[in-house]
Amino acid sequence: MKLSTKSRYALEGLFYMAIATLDRAASIKEIAAETQISPAYLEQIFFKLKQFGIIRTVRGARGGFLFEKPLSEITVGQIIRAVEGSLVPVKCVESLSACTSKVRGTCISRQVWVDLSDAIARVADSLTLEQLRNEWLAEQRGGQAL
Amino acid sequence: MKISTRGRYGLRAMIDLALHEDEGRVTLAGIAARQDLSLNYLESIFSALKRAGFVIGTAGAQGGYSLARPADQISLQSILEALEGDLSVFEEADIGSPIRAFLKQHVWDVIDREVENTLYATTLADMVKRIQLQESSAESSAL
Repeated sequence: MKLSTKSRYALEGLFYMAIATLDRAASIKEIAAETQISPAYLEQIFFKLKQFGIIRTVRGARGGFLFEKPLSEITVGQIIRAVEGSLVPVKCVESLSACTSKVRGTCISRQVWVDLSDAIARVADSLTLEQLRNEWLAEQRGGQAL
Repeated sequence: MKISTRGRYGLRAMIDLALHEDEGRVTLAGIAARQDLSLNYLESIFSALKRAGFVIGTAGAQGGYSLARPADQISLQSILEALEGDLSVFEEADIGSPIRAFLKQHVWDVIDREVENTLYATTLADMVKRIQLQESSAESSAL
């Protein structure tokens, strides 16, 4: 049940911005270099994130990406939905008509996929970039203290 | 994040088998008809399920399949893992950067654990109970 690299890269890029460039715009070049992701691919992904109102762009010599809303309002669930379209592992969870089976009305396994989607959403929708940033900073401080 | 047709059809077929086991050996033709699934595809899925020790097949006129263990000892997790392989959302790639390693630990592994807990806690017997309950409540509401 693999996520595409899009979700991982989207989160990695945004997370880099959250821990390193909160006070300024970050260029694709910088984010790509720091996360070891191809700049062209990252640009496609960030275009989606922009469409979904998670980030915005500033033009100019010091241009690049900024967060469009506070980190506390950006969840992992939103990020995955923005780039993958959905969090559910089986389409019928969102729309029964996506299923072409003749017996879909009495499907004996759909509930499993609903439960599975709920489990994924429970975690993804509760994790914010702010929380992840705080955990990262705490770990960094812990590491230095050793 | 997708469950393949193999995993989806296989799980549905196993629940069907558990639902009809008390009627004797269950034929793949019966499952195919009830579940609107292709017989050929079911045959390939069941040969994998047999190899993995989930079902026992008997040949002959009265032949068919039965569960290799009681339904309450077969978790949905184990069936899906047999059909899909590892269920984790994270592609085991190189943990290149510290950021990637951090996010694996704090995000992707947490999602995997929640999924695992859900699927591990549910057995085929739970599914049978659930479906019978739904059917009986549907019947009583039809009265």
